[in-house]
Amino acid sequence: MAGKEKNVARANYPKLYTSDPLAEVEPELRAKIGEMENYIMKNCLWQFNSRGWDRRTQNAGILGKTAQLLAGEEVETPTPMEKCHWVDAVMLAREFRERCAWLAGMSGDEIRAVIGKLHARIDWLTIDGSLNQELTVQNY
Amino acid sequence: MPYHEFDCSKCIPERKMHAVTKGAGEDLTSCLPLGYLNTIPGTISERGCAYCGAKHVIGTPMKDVLHVSHGPVGCTYDTWQTKRYISDNDNFQLKYTFATDVKEKHIVFGAEKMLKENILEAFDAFPHIKRMTIYQTCATALIGDDINAIAGEVMEERPDVDIFVCNSPGFGGPSQSGGHHKINIAWLNQKVGTVEPEITSDYVINYVGEYNIQGDQEVMLDFFKRMGIQVLSTFTGNGKYDDLRAMHRAHLNVLECARSAEYICDELRVRYGIPRLDIDGFGFKALGDSLRKIGLFFGIEDRAEAIIAEETARWQPELDWYKERLMGKRVCLWPGGSKLWHWAHAIQAEMGVNVVSVYTKFGHQGDMEKGVSRCGEGALAIDDPNELEGQEALRNLRPDVIFTGKRPGEVAKKMRVPYLNAHAYHNGPYKGFEGWVRFARDIYNAVYSPMHQLSALDISQDAIPGDTGFMTRRMLSDATLPEAVRNDPSMRPYTGAFDPIAAIRAKTDYPEFPRRSAIEAAE
Ligand code: SF4
Repeated sequence: MAGKEKNVARANYPKLYTSDPLAEVEPELRAKIGEMENYIMKNCLWQFNSRGWDRRTQNAGILGKTAQLLAGEEVETPTPMEKCHWVDAVMLAREFRERCAWLAGMSGDEIRAVIGKLHARIDWLTIDGSLNQELTVQNY
Repeated sequence: MPYHEFDCSKCIPERKMHAVTKGAGEDLTSCLPLGYLNTIPGTISERGCAYCGAKHVIGTPMKDVLHVSHGPVGCTYDTWQTKRYISDNDNFQLKYTFATDVKEKHIVFGAEKMLKENILEAFDAFPHIKRMTIYQTCATALIGDDINAIAGEVMEERPDVDIFVCNSPGFGGPSQSGGHHKINIAWLNQKVGTVEPEITSDYVINYVGEYNIQGDQEVMLDFFKRMGIQVLSTFTGNGKYDDLRAMHRAHLNVLECARSAEYICDELRVRYGIPRLDIDGFGFKALGDSLRKIGLFFGIEDRAEAIIAEETARWQPELDWYKERLMGKRVCLWPGGSKLWHWAHAIQAEMGVNVVSVYTKFGHQGDMEKGVSRCGEGALAIDDPNELEGQEALRNLRPDVIFTGKRPGEVAKKMRVPYLNAHAYHNGPYKGFEGWVRFARDIYNAVYSPMHQLSALDISQDAIPGDTGFMTRRMLSDATLPEAVRNDPSMRPYTGAFDPIAAIRAKTDYPEFPRRSAIEAAE
């Protein structure tokens, strides 16, 4: 029954946000993050895996690696799953560099902070604030 | 929550939460209809049953298989030949379907004996086919027929045959989607891991959630072969039964239709550690990015780039020609499940149309999340609509064209809205760069069909112009185009072949890439 216990645990993934984490962000930065958010929501599929815990892993894996790539850091991909995240992160980082010229003038820390906020927003849209009632289903 | 209440459904108040209008500033935390729930009594749904979802959508595209329904012949008839999932073995699985033809006496006395007779008879009638799938239906599930036991007996008696049993009777879920789920998991549990494949490349994928509608799979396989990628199996269009038993040996699952096939990808990830990469084969940008992603995963992105450059140079001028003429056309994108998100953004960005509504018959809220995100403000999103709601929406939205299935499509035609078949296509394939242009051409032909202009005239009361000639599509589409666009030499209408699949099937000149092991040995 170990498998079953694991499933229950993963269905009960902890909630991170109870309201829009970007509600208080100043408008200029909010608009910048909005550009990125809009690109992801219109063009990507990785943020929409069927279960909440799975979305959490996807968002963290891909946006985490995107921040590393944009900040010029080395990205490690020891497992096939992480390699998959890296693939989507490379695509995203390229799009962001092309579409968001303002990124070029930012330091590594600033980039990590912006992508951190974007990550919070995507988590809110797709997990914590989501109206999708199937996110907490235990099995696939 | 911006719910939309249809006038015709005021008497079914539960329906209100199944439709939303995406207003300014709305996002997924405020704008998402309910989905994948039991159909509400009193609303005539357009959904299929769970048996249909398992057999018709996922099981039957497997090409080297006898597909048997254990049940009344009506179930079989309704799942036979209505989708164009062709195959390169002369469409065996489309031509032949099998039913045990259960009657009242079998319901009373049991149908297992005749099931066995049917299985043996089918194998005897097609001695070159050694694989079979058997589908449970409502009637045989309720009388408790043990199909697995019978299949086991036959496999013992005839060791050269292999049988897959799918227990997904019609009532096994709110819609066909319940059947997709059941057959995914059943295949994984019963068959994956029972055959060891020959690995011929360093780059091995399963292509999952692809049903070879009018040749889509063959178009995509052509790209993969040009990249030197071995496609171990396709789940399931044009796919082979034994290839699909070897899915556990792939390095990567490339997932196209997540709605129907994410379950098997997710479980392959958990049980065998094979990652899932979601792709979109529709649209120049989405397809190009998909090929790049697969290339990146294997470290062969240059091979993807070469294909993208070649295909874009060949087909972009033709896509642009249609885009100029489709700009601003209003589209109702009303497919079954996944195309609402595969197409919603791509047709707006690359063909210039305006998606005014998306709907899904059997999609889940996850599909609506993708669909609502990908359409613009003002779009009406409907879950599991009934026919009256569809008609009301068409009257209010006044679309120029609708992409849907053939049942609602015929209704739309009678309301004088041109319709394209979103499930089986009109003149597909629609995947691939050329396929995307073929889709644009079909939209153009539908929107500007002179027949539709004529059909709007009511011969009982309208004056019928007898002094003007027949209009052509071109006369209609180009009437308001600026001269420079009309005669722009950099654009042209579709110049591909009537049947692009024949050329792909005849192709033998795929590049040979040395295996990594061979290169290392040489060094
Ligand atoms: S609902 Fe049952 S009886 Fe009707 S087609 Fe489906 S399996 Fe057959």
